[in-house]
Amino acid sequence: MKLLTHNLLSSHVRGVGPRGFPLRLQATEVRINPVEFNPDFVARMIPKVEWAALLEAADTLHLVEVPKGPIEGYEHDEKFLRQMHHVLLEVRTGPSLASLAGHSRRLPVLSSIPSPFPAGGCAGGHLAVPRVWTSVPHQSRDPQHVAE
Amino acid sequence: SYYYSGWRPAAGARFFCTAGRGLEPFLMREVRARLAATQVEYISGKVFFTTCSDLNMLKKLKSAERLFLLIKKQFPLNVSSVSKGKIFNEMQRLVNDDPESWLSAISIWKNLLELDAKEDKLSQRDANPLKRKVEENDIINPKKLKTKQMQELQESRECQLEKQTDEATVEQGDFLTNREKSQEAFQNDAVKAVAAPNQKDLTFRVSCRCSGFVAKTFTAQEVGRVIGIALMKQFGWKADLRNPNLEIFIHLNDIYSVVGIPVFRVPLASRAYIKTAGLRSTIAWAMASLAEIKAGAFVLDPMCGLGTILLEAAKEWPDVYYVGADVSDSQLLGACDNLKAAGLQDKIELLKVSVIELPLPSESVDIIISDIPFGKKFKLGKDIKNILQEMERVLCVGGTIVLLLSEDHHRRLQDCERGGIPWNSKGSHTDEPGIEKCLNPGEKTDLSDTVSSSAETSGQGDLDKMPPFGSLVPVDRYRVSLGRTGAFICRYRKSPSSAANVAAGLRFPVEFCFIP
Repeated sequence: MKLLTHNLLSSHVRGVGPRGFPLRLQATEVRINPVEFNPDFVARMIPKVEWAALLEAADTLHLVEVPKGPIEGYEHDEKFLRQMHHVLLEVRTGPSLASLAGHSRRLPVLSSIPSPFPAGGCAGGHLAVPRVWTSVPHQSRDPQHVAE
Repeated sequence: SYYYSGWRPAAGARFFCTAGRGLEPFLMREVRARLAATQVEYISGKVFFTTCSDLNMLKKLKSAERLFLLIKKQFPLNVSSVSKGKIFNEMQRLVNDDPESWLSAISIWKNLLELDAKEDKLSQRDANPLKRKVEENDIINPKKLKTKQMQELQESRECQLEKQTDEATVEQGDFLTNREKSQEAFQNDAVKAVAAPNQKDLTFRVSCRCSGFVAKTFTAQEVGRVIGIALMKQFGWKADLRNPNLEIFIHLNDIYSVVGIPVFRVPLASRAYIKTAGLRSTIAWAMASLAEIKAGAFVLDPMCGLGTILLEAAKEWPDVYYVGADVSDSQLLGACDNLKAAGLQDKIELLKVSVIELPLPSESVDIIISDIPFGKKFKLGKDIKNILQEMERVLCVGGTIVLLLSEDHHRRLQDCERGGIPWNSKGSHTDEPGIEKCLNPGEKTDLSDTVSSSAETSGQGDLDKMPPFGSLVPVDRYRVSLGRTGAFICRYRKSPSSAANVAAGLRFPVEFCFIP
């Protein structure tokens, strides 16, 4: 999925506030998918970005040239918009379809299903190795999680 | 060569579209907006309008079934006359009273279809071999086709959906290869129009549809024959059932007699960019048009199936962030295929998630559009409630929801609305099927106890004034036909009044959970 999608998702945990927890990326499967640059569209997406989660994801994926936050006058800053365009829309993590299988309502797990977009691009491609992203509270950085 | 600048009728030409029942208001609005149409009127399943638009714009109509150039619209045939012969005379007068109107309509038709010679990359020489090949490969017996076609048309007794006419047309369309069904089909029409140097050499075919009292007196075949003979006598044209230059469409019913020329071979409702349709494309587009989609919006279809709604929306409103979700692998793979076929895989993201457990923060989605599945799998009551609750949660304040609801779902929601029972109440009182529980005063007291506690906390007063599903306020609804069944397109908006409630999580039982 696009990093923009990953950024907009969260594990909504009932009763624990409206924002839920961002999904931490554990998988490192990354593809770059060229997408036509549309500055107006990118500019409109900037207000929706959850920057902390984005920077963490970019860090996990070892992306470079990721803006640290919205800069003043970003709507007209082509360099900024192009960088955000690349990060949000062209970087793809994992397969195109991701599932949130709730084997327990309290433990949302995101795993992949057979990807229809393998390298060859034909439908019904190979079975992807399941990759698991578990949701962890964004704030907590306990030693237990570091090991994951 | 598809994007040429076509001929436009200076003073405007008069057209009509057939439309699925219930979609007429959408179509009227669309022709005004898209084609700057004037003299727009709707009469029993057809929308008539005048426009100066060229073929490229006309082809973009999304809520119509088929488009026709109008030759004639007049009062219905008087079938109370004693003699059939007299009625046949009336039919002939459709042709003979005012032959000029036929000729001028045909002239407009030819002009509309004529290619701009300078920009035409497809030469006539190239197009004709294609046409000849198709004819060689065609093994369908024209006599059989005529009978089958006429039978199908006769079977329609009432003013129905275009489906049947489409089927008849599609039979004819089956002559063509898939390739022709797309852009080449349009150019083929153009080539045929130009290839007929003068009107005397035109070949034609008459398609008839009779309903109401007319249908009781005549078969479509009889009418077709009478009109066909009148045309041959009046204009010297020849009939060609297999591959005519010109198609004439006649619809006779109790309200009007309408004659027109279909502008496109393939119905507008049949989209070149949709590989496998789930929901009917016209209805999908109509739903999207109600959702007030603006550039930069986040639009979600949490039960997207094959993605038809998202495809229609993304084609029309491209600068928008679209996400589709479904729990079915096969549907999602079909949706993937559809996105690829339409070239929209960069515009629409697909997720395998459940609508009752959306991995989205509260109030993060601007617009939700969805076709709520019908059928036994979806029980009335509890499922709908959970679905709407989750949709309400993720929707921004001021956001819009457009749903397609079966008659059953809709009736259920209406009854609960009338009873003033909010859907976010705790407990299972609204879970049981049947209307009685909703309106039972005893039950109501229980519920109002639960609800008023949260209402008090949020500072709200009167229970009766509370919108039915928490903060979702019904805006409007439209009954549409899906062929054999009907459904409702329902629009809701999330009002700010209960936003505080939702954000504070008062409506949800507090489940504390944690991740190891």
